Amino acid sequence: MNAFISRVTARRSGALGVIGGSAIMGPLAALVLAIVVFATQSDKFLSGSNFSLILQQVMVVGTLAIGQTLIILTAGIDLSCSWIMALSTVMMTGLTMRTGVDPVVAIFLGLLVGMAFGLLNGWLVTAIRLPPFIVTLGTFSIATALVHIYTSETINRLPEAQTFLGNTFTLAGTDITYGSVVMLILYGIVWYVLRSTSAGRAVYAVGDNPEAARLAGINTNRVLMGVYATAGLFYAIAGLLLVARTGVGDPNSGGAGTQDNLAAITAVVLGGTSLFGGRGLIFGTLIGALIVGVFRNGLQLMGVESNYQVLITGVLVILAVAVDALSHRSK
Amino acid sequence: MSGFTSPDNVLLEMRGIGKTFPGVRALEGVHLAVKEGQVHALLGENGAGKSTLIKILSGAYAKDEGQILFEGQPVEIRGPHDAQALGISTIYQEFNLARDLTVAENVFLGHLPTRRARVDWSTVKARTREILDTLGVTFSVDAPISSLSVAEQQLVEIAKALNRKTRILVMDEPSALLGEKDLENLFRVVRSLQAQGIGIIYISHRLREIFALADEVTVLKDGRYISTQRVADVTMDDLVKLMIGRDLKDVYPKRTAEHGEVLLEVSGLSQSKLLRDISFQLHAGEIVGFAGIVGSGRTELARAIFGADPSSGEMRIAGKPFKPHSPAAAIRNGVALVTEDRKAQGLFLQLSVRINTTISGLRRLTRLGVINFGRELTLVKRMIQELRIKTPTPSFLVVNMSGGNQQKVVLARWLSVGTRIFLMDEPTRGIDVGSKSEIYQIMDQLTRQGVGIIMISSELPEVLGMSDRIMVMRQGRIVKELSRAEASEEAVMHFAVGSGGA
Repeated sequence: MNAFISRVTARRSGALGVIGGSAIMGPLAALVLAIVVFATQSDKFLSGSNFSLILQQVMVVGTLAIGQTLIILTAGIDLSCSWIMALSTVMMTGLTMRTGVDPVVAIFLGLLVGMAFGLLNGWLVTAIRLPPFIVTLGTFSIATALVHIYTSETINRLPEAQTFLGNTFTLAGTDITYGSVVMLILYGIVWYVLRSTSAGRAVYAVGDNPEAARLAGINTNRVLMGVYATAGLFYAIAGLLLVARTGVGDPNSGGAGTQDNLAAITAVVLGGTSLFGGRGLIFGTLIGALIVGVFRNGLQLMGVESNYQVLITGVLVILAVAVDALSHRSK
Repeated sequence: MSGFTSPDNVLLEMRGIGKTFPGVRALEGVHLAVKEGQVHALLGENGAGKSTLIKILSGAYAKDEGQILFEGQPVEIRGPHDAQALGISTIYQEFNLARDLTVAENVFLGHLPTRRARVDWSTVKARTREILDTLGVTFSVDAPISSLSVAEQQLVEIAKALNRKTRILVMDEPSALLGEKDLENLFRVVRSLQAQGIGIIYISHRLREIFALADEVTVLKDGRYISTQRVADVTMDDLVKLMIGRDLKDVYPKRTAEHGEVLLEVSGLSQSKLLRDISFQLHAGEIVGFAGIVGSGRTELARAIFGADPSSGEMRIAGKPFKPHSPAAAIRNGVALVTEDRKAQGLFLQLSVRINTTISGLRRLTRLGVINFGRELTLVKRMIQELRIKTPTPSFLVVNMSGGNQQKVVLARWLSVGTRIFLMDEPTRGIDVGSKSEIYQIMDQLTRQGVGIIMISSELPEVLGMSDRIMVMRQGRIVKELSRAEASEEAVMHFAVGSGGA
């Protein structure tokens, strides 16, 4: 499989045209391979309803991973992502259920909270020039604490206006969750922005070489602020999808059982985005998130215990990075 | 021919070396023979095969064909260990030093002597001092590498090699990062190594160095062996012809561009201790060369004009006040900076030729922030054609290109935003003679179109060959302005090192 992936990735720079040098063929090959393997192991795997389920299971992490991808493209990292999501979640639901704010207005306020936290991260990274790892390690704790200060209990009995994205519609006999469609639309938007706008180019340029970007006339601080704020917004949208999926505002949704924080980073890495910045495609991240989803789902269908599922995910990450690193070293 | 201990004692011989990479014949039938106590220059354009040959010698690559003899005995070099065991040391352009460790720690890195399971620091320091003394070096063995200048770090690399009983020392463009004064010191050190009987393989683009230092020179071209000559028997023109197949005279274009109105006027520009009261004018169609030793303030001046660093004083562009607070503001006013370090400051190495070319001029190609790909591609293709950039496609990654082509991409970027004032800091550093000549042609053509160029260069032949006027800088000041007629290497150096002038 390694040899196959590296052979495919060797051709990547020409084929992709605008943003070259990103290994999307490798992750895609891995995803296809995983689907083929699981299809032979379980006859329930290869069905429309199961794929819809995978998408639904992936929509929260997949949306978190969009924000994470933007940040990693600028050679940063965001450890706080799932707790910004959790904070937005409890704010949206709490403002409605405890304070009596209109549910739609509360959603807006929740999205604003996510963006504000993103801006805080961005400000610390640009104005104080702290490493993103340290900044987000700090805001990770702050967000966690704020969530639990705000509420220690799960907020439930939410109005329809906040959970409707968890509803489904039927397409060709398969029930599809609105939320997973929202996620796919977001991927489409970000793909377009990264590929076709000067803002997208600036993200890649700043990630590849911030000094050269500045000397090429790019306002690097503004780019970074924009990226962190946008990422915060995406985390908050992921929070909205989480509310829709679970029907509650859960103060522990940022960590503990769900592990969405690391799963988002895992998706980005599996998707071939370089942790050194400047290289990566947003659809790589979608594929990465799907790989995580397919593995969890497939292993579940095979009856593999959940601890082993986590273990296999870990092996997968290391394998993916190793393949990438080795294919670079051989050049 | 200084330092020949035993002229006929061949230490190392490489015979009929061949190497093929997937799709590329990198070396074919290459010979190289280095004698004890000899400085042997290895000359060739980028892509001629110098690096590949050196990497085979140092064990980084395995050869496909040929034979290596050490003191007449056939040897196999299968890895860096084998090379080290034979006493072959290589100093690459990118130093291999631990920046946060001290000089002594670096010299002994990997084989620290121990006594009763503890590092014997007194031996480490004493031995390092001894080596540094033989090199005539005064800095402390306890100094961290990060506190040393590039020239000093290079001496630490040499000390490292000497500590390993080196018989053959390979120096890959050792002069690329040095100013004239450091260069003289390097020459002195190389001669003393030579006197100790070490065979030195010296790679350089700079022909003057080869004549100053080398006993013999081997020329490679396109991966093939061209010839080996005694330096005393050849002229510079001969070597250039062997290397690129044409005359040195043709390297610098004849400067006939007419000078127009004043494009840029700088008066009283200062920046803390780095720049003091700089005043000069640049006319349309003019190339003004800035000479001086490294650290004289030339790069700082270019960065200040470009708005990359803050400064005080007045500037005018075509008569209008110009106060750049950022590079973006300078670019909007038609000013461009070609940085001295292309890879660190100029290019996005992992991105394509296309993105690198248009990154500064996207405003002209976008509508509501969306890039018009058709117009972008047309522009990029035109630039590739006009500047003769060698790239298979516009989406080729810049990291895979030669230095000359990378520099052309930088120029393409600035040309596509309608630059009128070019600040070029070492525009041909690390570029082979063939591409250099092309860059000079481009500069000449630009001036014919009314562009003004400020060229900073540490290569005096280039300064003299290209400039219409020369400003000599020293310690943050312009100490002398020389006309083309007045300028000579001696005159420039005279003012640059401070034996005369204001």
